[in-house]
Amino acid sequence: MKKKFEIELKRLKREPGLDEHERILLARSLSATPQERWDAHENFLRSLGLFEHWKRKEFGFK
Amino acid sequence: MSAAILQGVPATTLDTDLWVELPARQYVRVLAVVQKLGGAILARTVVALKDDSLVNFLYRIDGIGSFGEEFELAKEVSLGGCRVRVLPIERIIASKRHVGRPKDIAHLPLLEQVLALLSKRGGGSRTAKRGGG
Repeated sequence: MKKKFEIELKRLKREPGLDEHERILLARSLSATPQERWDAHENFLRSLGLFEHWKRKEFGFK
Repeated sequence: MSAAILQGVPATTLDTDLWVELPARQYVRVLAVVQKLGGAILARTVVALKDDSLVNFLYRIDGIGSFGEEFELAKEVSLGGCRVRVLPIERIIASKRHVGRPKDIAHLPLLEQVLALLSKRGGGSRTAKRGGG
């Protein structure tokens, strides 16, 4: 995955209008498989305590 | 946005929209399956699965073709050991543009950015276009 990320990052360096943060974010996402993308998405929600719907209610989500 | 995430859009969503090819009046059939799988019914179209993730069942999607038409154009991805068909990013954009709610409009720049990047390299990042069958 690291190699694919580096290839993607190199490719994105040629893209105008992207800052470093955007390049890294996009390179991580585009170099991942769909399963890796989904796992990252779920991990992100979990890290914020937003994965379970009943927990989200505590934060004021409907 | 789940379909977009699977295709490489760096975003997140609080629920997964699943398009079901059934008349909306037959929602009970879908809910029966959810219950059988240990999920909880929160509304007619909204359920919490066993792992507490939210799923929203859609019986029509405005701004794009019929289920059959879109099914033919769908991209296939591998997720959880299953082959899942998802709307291509351009079709997600068409739907969001049509619906036009603030939250849909807010997603458009990111969707368009990723679509443009993928288009430059000839279509799909690491998703395959659906094969036959």
